[in-house]
Amino acid sequence: MKETKFEKFAFAVSATAVTIGAALFLYALFLIIAKPAQAAEIPIEGTVQSQCLINTDKPGVYGSPNAYTLSTAPADGGVIPIVRYDVTLADAYTARITYPTDFSSSPSLSDSVTWTGSVAVDQVSSVDMADYQTDSTTYDQTREYVLTATGATWFAVSSTAAYGGGSNKAFPGGTYRAVVVAECIAN
Amino acid sequence: MHRELVLLLLLAFPAYGHQMIPSHPVLKQSHVSGILKTELELFNKRKDVEYYELGVFDADWNPIPFVSAYRVAHVRYLGHLKFDVYIRKDDADRATYVCSQSKLRGDSTGTLLASRICSKLHH
Repeated sequence: MKETKFEKFAFAVSATAVTIGAALFLYALFLIIAKPAQAAEIPIEGTVQSQCLINTDKPGVYGSPNAYTLSTAPADGGVIPIVRYDVTLADAYTARITYPTDFSSSPSLSDSVTWTGSVAVDQVSSVDMADYQTDSTTYDQTREYVLTATGATWFAVSSTAAYGGGSNKAFPGGTYRAVVVAECIAN
Repeated sequence: MHRELVLLLLLAFPAYGHQMIPSHPVLKQSHVSGILKTELELFNKRKDVEYYELGVFDADWNPIPFVSAYRVAHVRYLGHLKFDVYIRKDDADRATYVCSQSKLRGDSTGTLLASRICSKLHH
């Protein structure tokens, strides 16, 4: 049976309507999918500026090689504390590290304690820091380093306490704590 | 190779850090005449420390009077704290350093580390 002109026209109109409907559906689908992506735009801001970060990379522990000595030396059963300085601008900071000269907490002590210690560069993240130790200055129990390069520098702080003022008196039993002071001073 | 070694060392030890910015804060006029102020920010990456004592000093480390919302600031682990420091205009020329020093807990063990960071005031 042959199609009439009207039937052809009706078919063409309905085909166009289906096409437009499909296009609108796809557009709506796109909007629905695209919207959560817009909502997920969360800004993250950051500012780079000169700064110094002091890190305790390894807390120290006193070992007791004999009754009258406490020492952080590994050979004496201790752990040497490691302090890390991170700086982001060269020549902007000076590091000052002081080893302990007193217990922050301890059992009651009736005799004197003789303190010794040292501060040394343990590791560096840049060859520009190679001379830090030789260029450092020391006074009393403090060693001072001018941080002339950017990056991380690790410092080892040794500490020894001997009880009895040279007469090798045994430390009373208990827990002993001492404090290393690490400072980062802007130049 | 060296960078890999540094990264390895950073990952090998849990680091606890203390940071204060800016390194060279600027004193500005506050809303009160005769009083200058500057703004700083502390970042606490030390698990063993929650409190930091603030101080203002001259070039010879003599204390300078100052006012801040905190004399001892509470900063949680991985927390940031922005704070203002107010100094009299008469003291501004002498004021050189603004410092924050960690306050250690009594129950900490072993050899402890007191960290102190000082920013230098920009005149």
